[in-house]
Order: sequence, then structure tokens, then C-alpha cells
Amino acid sequence: MRFLRLQLPLFLTALAGSIPIVAFFWSPNGTIVQTTKDWLEKYMVIIASFALLLGVINVVQTNVKKIERRQAGWHYGLFLLAGLVGMGTCGILGAIQVGPFQGIGFRPDGSRTPFQWGAEFIFNPLQATMFSLLAFFMASAAFRAFRARNVEATILLIAAAVVMVGRIPLGESILGGRPYLAHFTDWLMNWPNAAAQRGIIIGAALGAASLSLRVIVGIERSFLGIDKSE
Amino acid sequence: MDRIVRWLDLLVHLDRRWIFILIALGTALPILFPIGFKVSITPSAQALYDKIESLEPEDVVMVSFDYGPSTAPENDPMADAVLRHCFSHGVKVVVLALFPIGGVTMADQSLARVLHDYPGIKYGTDYVNLGYKSGGQATMKQMGEEIHNVFPVDRYGKPLAEIPLMQRVHAYRDVKLAVSMATGIIGEWWANLVNAQFGIPVACGCTAVSAPKYYAFLQSGQMIGILGGLKGASEYEKLLTRGYPATAPIYARPGLYTAIKGMDAQTIDHSIILLFIILGNLAFFLGRMNNRRKAS
Repeated sequence: MRFLRLQLPLFLTALAGSIPIVAFFWSPNGTIVQTTKDWLEKYMVIIASFALLLGVINVVQTNVKKIERRQAGWHYGLFLLAGLVGMGTCGILGAIQVGPFQGIGFRPDGSRTPFQWGAEFIFNPLQATMFSLLAFFMASAAFRAFRARNVEATILLIAAAVVMVGRIPLGESILGGRPYLAHFTDWLMNWPNAAAQRGIIIGAALGAASLSLRVIVGIERSFLGIDKSE
Repeated sequence: MDRIVRWLDLLVHLDRRWIFILIALGTALPILFPIGFKVSITPSAQALYDKIESLEPEDVVMVSFDYGPSTAPENDPMADAVLRHCFSHGVKVVVLALFPIGGVTMADQSLARVLHDYPGIKYGTDYVNLGYKSGGQATMKQMGEEIHNVFPVDRYGKPLAEIPLMQRVHAYRDVKLAVSMATGIIGEWWANLVNAQFGIPVACGCTAVSAPKYYAFLQSGQMIGILGGLKGASEYEKLLTRGYPATAPIYARPGLYTAIKGMDAQTIDHSIILLFIILGNLAFFLGRMNNRRKAS
């Protein structure tokens, strides 16, 4: 039991994790390393698709519980599940081409399948509407929160104001058509911003590399649903 | 002094619905009645334009639709402009989508908008739409080996082997440039996975909110150009209409949403927000001064 629950998964993880690393540095054509790497990459695409299924199961479980317990906003969960079932049904029937559900895109005559219609005329406008609301909340939040209370807040405020003005034609207009603010904005983005971003990216990459190494050598086992003591 | 502070205090406690109304007007009015603010070109947009200009007519550009309807007002104009540039210049285009929430619809709609003005462009020889594939990084890595394995059929179910353009495009080595129209993290993967491991030039058209992180890739040479938000898109539209005057009537067409028209709304909205930030800070400082004066 211990073999199936612990040792085999750890062995498979170490193997699957090590081969791409070895292949990155050394993989002459025709070798077993090259063949296994190609095989793993193909399966990665297939396995990644299962994440979608996992997501669907998670959404269903969470919302069914919410509706059963009549938690706050349960009726939104009802709409969500109705949308999931409706679009899911159109998608599955489209994939197996039943009746009017011929595919999930456009039909050969250019007309829309039910799935395409739902995506284009229900989902797209709803998502666009949700994101558009951000403009209003951001404007209100910027007005209330952007205060020069201390040195750090003042630096942030000045940088934000310069970028906001530098990113619109007004910045040039108020300086008689000279793009000084646009150039200063570019400098801010290319130097202080890029330096900070690069630090964050390198830090995150090192973190990801060290976590991957811990998984490959078997120190990190939480993904197996067991703790270190086992 | 007290009267000014009282007035500014009133402003600080302004009902946020007034701000909402001003933003709504600031967005709607410039779209209904375009102002036509001047757009200046930044080096990052110019670099992408120059790269496409340097390509030969038979070269292939890969355009990945890595965004959904939520950021379409920013990403759509840049995707349209890049596609128009490719078709005007005569380079071949391979379109795909890696963003799960609406990426493929964005690609369909963008192609429909653009192809309306290019009746001579033929599917299969001048461009191909591969559709959507899940898997993110795994898919992108596999495309470095064999695109036909990742996308056995195109968006319309036709085997790739039967499509003339795809008969000579098998991996990134057959592509001269990859442009990701991105929201979220997928644009980053094009730099740190596709450019870093396969060496093809990569550019990104991203939302304004995610543009700062892409400057790190631009500076390190992992990206050859960036179109940052609506501003970047408007710069590209200006470059395109300047370089290809035949495209100018397309952008002047009434009813067509363009980044240059959108910049009018963005200019007004930024100005409203800045005005409120200045007034809010003025109220904050005057209130603090007034409190100190009263205390002393």
C-alpha cells in the first residue's frame, strides 16, 4: 500500500521531472532521453486538458453546496450552474454533431452554432460588462486612496500621475506639443519599473525552480495529499 | 480659509455616484463626438512595426489571441492593426488562440473585421486559423517540435496537412515573428519559453495594466516590441495609416471602433481622475493645515 500511495508516485514524479531537465542540456536525436521527452511533452498537453475537467467539478461542487445551504448569494450560483449546463450541453452535442449542434464554431454556410451564439451574444457581452465596471471603481478608489500621506505614498503618487499624463495626448498638449512627459514616462517604464519587475520575475523564477527541485527529489509531498512524516 | 476647507471637505465626501456619472460622460461623449487628439509614437511600437516591415512577402507571422472579451476594447484594435499590417505588407499569418475564455472568438471576430477590407486574401495560402488549444505552456513547448501534432486540424476541422500554408510551417523555426495579443500571463510565456528556448523574435500587445512587467522583457531583448494598452494600439494605427495610406479610409470609417478614437475617451477619463486626485490631495493638506492652526 505504501508503495502505491507513496513510493511509486514519488518515483514517477522524479522521473517525469528529471527527463525534461536532462533533455534540455543533452538530447541527441534517437536516444531514449529524446524519445521520452517527446512522449512526455505530448502527454503534457493531454494531461493539462484534465485541469479543465477538474475546474468544472470544483465549480459544480462549490455551487451545489452553496445552493443547498442557501448561503448568501446562492441564487447567483444557480445562474452559474445553469450557464455551465447550458453551454456545456451545446458544446458536447456540438462536438458529437447532433441535430442543429453541428460543431462549436461557425457552420460551413457561415451561420452560428448554438455554442458560438451563446459565446458571442451572451458570454462575451457579460464579460465585457463586468470588466467595464472596473473603470468606475478605479476612478472612485483613486480619488479616495491616492493621498500623499508619507514619502513612499508621495513617490507613488507622482510616478502614477506622470505615467497617467504621459500616456495620453494631453501631456504633450500642455507642454506645447513637446513630448517631454511621454519621454519621462518611457524612462520610468524602461529603467526604475523594468529593474523592479526584473527583480520580481527573477525572484519568482528562483522560487519556482527551488519548489520544482523539492518536488523532484521528494522533499515536497503535499501534492500527494500526505505530510512529511509519512 | 475655513470656507475653502469646508468646500474641499464636501468634495472629499462627494457621493461616488457623481464620479461614476462624470466617468460615464467622459467615456461616452468622446466616442460619440471624436476629438482627434494627436498620438505620438514610442520606440516599443515602432520596433514591432519595423520588424514586420523587414519581413519578406513569403515569411510567416504567428499571431496568438491570448485575451478574452473582458480586455477586447484594448486588445482588439492592436490585433486588427497588426493583422492589417501583415496583410498589407504581404506576409503570411498563422492565427491561434491559447486563452481559454473567449480567445478563439476574439480571433474569429478580428479576422472577420480585417478580412472585410482585404478581399484578395485567401484562406489556406495567405492565412490560417488554427483555433484554440488548451494546455498553455505545454502546448507552446510542443509547437516548438511539431505544430501539426498540437493542431491536427484547423479551426474549421480541415487537416493541417491539406492546407498549403501549413505544409511549410511545422514549428517555430518556420516562423519569423510571433506576436501575442495578451492579457494575463500568457504573453510572458511567449518571452520566457518560446523566445528563450526556440529563439524566434517575440512581440506582445498587452493591456495597459500588464504593460509594466513586459518592459523587463523588452529591455532584456526577449521581446522586440510592445504595444502597451490603448496607447500602444493607437500608435500602431498611426504607423499603419502613415506607412500604408490605403488603410487610412478604413480607420476613418464611421462606426468602426479604433484605438485612436478610444484614446479620446481615455484622455478625458485620465484627466477627470487626475483632477479628482489633485483636489483630494488639496483638501487633505488644507484640512491638515487647518487642524494644526486650530490646535495652536
